[in-house]
Amino acid sequence: MSDFETSLAMSASAMKAQSMRLRLASENIANNDTPGYRRKTVSFQETFDRALGTNVVKTGQVRLDQAELARIYNPGHPLADQTGSYDGSNVDLIVEIADARESQRSYEANLKMFDQARQMASAALELLRR
Amino acid sequence: MTISPVAAAHLYSVAKPATQPDQEQSGTAKAFAQVAADFTQTLQAGEDTARAAMTGNADLPSLVEALAKSELAVETAVTIRNKVVEAYQEILRMPV
Repeated sequence: MSDFETSLAMSASAMKAQSMRLRLASENIANNDTPGYRRKTVSFQETFDRALGTNVVKTGQVRLDQAELARIYNPGHPLADQTGSYDGSNVDLIVEIADARESQRSYEANLKMFDQARQMASAALELLRR
Repeated sequence: MTISPVAAAHLYSVAKPATQPDQEQSGTAKAFAQVAADFTQTLQAGEDTARAAMTGNADLPSLVEALAKSELAVETAVTIRNKVVEAYQEILRMPV
């Protein structure tokens, strides 16, 4: 496999990883108001892909953030205990939106690299044409 | 000079093997066969991924990657074919 194809595969795997990250960010935002919800995070790791014969980016196991759940005071809520409050989610909207934006930027960077590898391969072929 | 039919037939049969392809594959032929096999495999992989994407079993980046690879492979094959045909025509135009 040529270096151009390896670079295409590498960028595509990174884009897949970023879309997984964006998916988790949207899950977290969607469950912002779910009582007892813990935000999900995922780590990236470089793994060797036997079929491609090169290293690619893969997402690791999805983990739950063990940060403390927010206590929400609302005596009328069905889940409220004696103190009149219940466990909310530990999602911070600002963090999630920043994460989603960062994943978008990384995706764009990988898309640009993908396009560049493709253009470089095409440009080399262009020499053979007249 | 007179050419007897028997001598002509003999000379023809002697000259004929030169026009036949080599039975044992040379290094170049093997390399070309390998390139053709790789090309077919790339196209096949592209089609498989496209089919999987249509049925919802493949994600978008994989589809784009497979199609870009197929595109590059076809582009390469077409360019090389054009070069080969061009060289062949160049030989045909040679005054004999």
